[in-house]
Amino acid sequence: MSAHVGAAVAPEARSGWVRRRLADVGAGAIDNARAARLLYSIFIRTLYYSVRGRREKGAVLRACYDIGNRSLFFLTAVMGFVGMIMVFHSCTQINRITGDLHLVGATYIQLVVRDFAASVGSMMLATRVGAGIAAEIGSMVVTDQVDALRMCAAEPVDYLIVPRFKASVVMTTVLLVWAMFVMEVSGMLTAWGMFNVNPRIFWNISMVDFRDLATGLTKCFAFGAAIPIVSGYCGLTTFGGAEGVGWATTRAVVWSCFATILLNFIISTTALYLFWV
Amino acid sequence: MIRFVGLCKSFGTKSVLDGVDVTIGKGEVFFIIGQSGVGKSVLIKHLIGLLRPDRGEIYLDDQEISRLTERQYFAVRRRCGMVFQHSTLFDSLTCLENVALPIRKHKHLGKKKALVEAHKRLEQVHMEEFAQTFPAALGDGMRKRVAIARTLTMDPEFVLFDEPTTGLDPVSARRVDVLIRELADRLHVTCVVVSHDLTSIFSIADRIVMLYKGKVRLLGTRDEFRRSADPIVRQFITGSAEGPME
Repeated sequence: MSAHVGAAVAPEARSGWVRRRLADVGAGAIDNARAARLLYSIFIRTLYYSVRGRREKGAVLRACYDIGNRSLFFLTAVMGFVGMIMVFHSCTQINRITGDLHLVGATYIQLVVRDFAASVGSMMLATRVGAGIAAEIGSMVVTDQVDALRMCAAEPVDYLIVPRFKASVVMTTVLLVWAMFVMEVSGMLTAWGMFNVNPRIFWNISMVDFRDLATGLTKCFAFGAAIPIVSGYCGLTTFGGAEGVGWATTRAVVWSCFATILLNFIISTTALYLFWV
Repeated sequence: MIRFVGLCKSFGTKSVLDGVDVTIGKGEVFFIIGQSGVGKSVLIKHLIGLLRPDRGEIYLDDQEISRLTERQYFAVRRRCGMVFQHSTLFDSLTCLENVALPIRKHKHLGKKKALVEAHKRLEQVHMEEFAQTFPAALGDGMRKRVAIARTLTMDPEFVLFDEPTTGLDPVSARRVDVLIRELADRLHVTCVVVSHDLTSIFSIADRIVMLYKGKVRLLGTRDEFRRSADPIVRQFITGSAEGPME
């Protein structure tokens, strides 16, 4: 009897399960589409208010200090170690194969300028700056301060994201150029100290030209713009209490890193087609 | 007059408001009561466009406002002030600058003129001596008074209070009650108050609505609530742990 009932109900139950799974997938797709639209809207509004919004120099300068000055030591230390590790492994591998280290400096500086300083440095900044922006804005959301701003006829994007956006574009570019220099010096000292490589070859810029410089600086600029927008979006969409702020911070770091990698791919591919193909 | 008609709102799979119909008359002190999480704050946030309904309509003096854009809501927010539960003063601004912000944005006044007007508003709530103090240095009651001053800067016709006495000592709480009653009696401001504070409810409310499971459970005067035989209402107003409430 029970087997008979089970056989009769099973197809319905199966179709119900399938419908629920499809509904889950559909709901997820709709949520993602909404999130993408909101992120795009924040991006457009940030650009708009950067030109047409309020002018308050103090807010931008404070954000410059928070994003730039306060990240300097952290970024210098991290990029210094990254430079040391990269040169150490490069020289070790070259020694195993050819033993000829005279081009290591030129190729290293090209890699650092074109790609590495910007991409690794911006991910480091995403962990510090992105998390800070999301936590601050997220806390304001859960304590209704963002709603209070809206009640004062103030646009939250203009007040909360635009100063950080302007500051981040400037300071991230400056910090990442500094990171290039730090990586170069730490790499040079490692090669000199551990592999007895002449330091002068690390200032051989024969392999670096305008195209490398343009690609590297475009990345610095783009990453500097992406981090506050993505993190600001994560902050503004915070939901819940302290746990929500925690999740917003985590999402800001993850999505900012993802954005830098995606932008890196887009800019590198574009540069390849524009300059080298 | 404020009118909510068949208002529905869900967050994900959780239905918070499920067809709420409420009308609030001009100059009333109107209390919205109910358990935590029942949707009291959600209901009043719909009026000023901080939340948008899934279904239903909201009328402000016979104008349907639930489909306005964010920018169109600025005009509604000039007429409807809100005092938030956590005061929501901006920590990076002094009390004076906090009060001046809506004056600058809504009235498009320069900074100096806005600060002069803000100072007058702080005097109204007896907080002028703390004008240059940052909110973090103040107690909850003082912060609440500055928040009320900020809300009153626009001379709103409607003021929404989200749990105005929560976290205050009894004396400060009763002072806030007096302030709300005065707003209605002297300035004919319509005050919509979300509260759990039974002392406030039964001392200053003109009418009360109780929400339960997303619907209106009872709408009436203080006496009607006192006389109500509904076991859910009785349990709430007596604050009893035992009863039919989930």
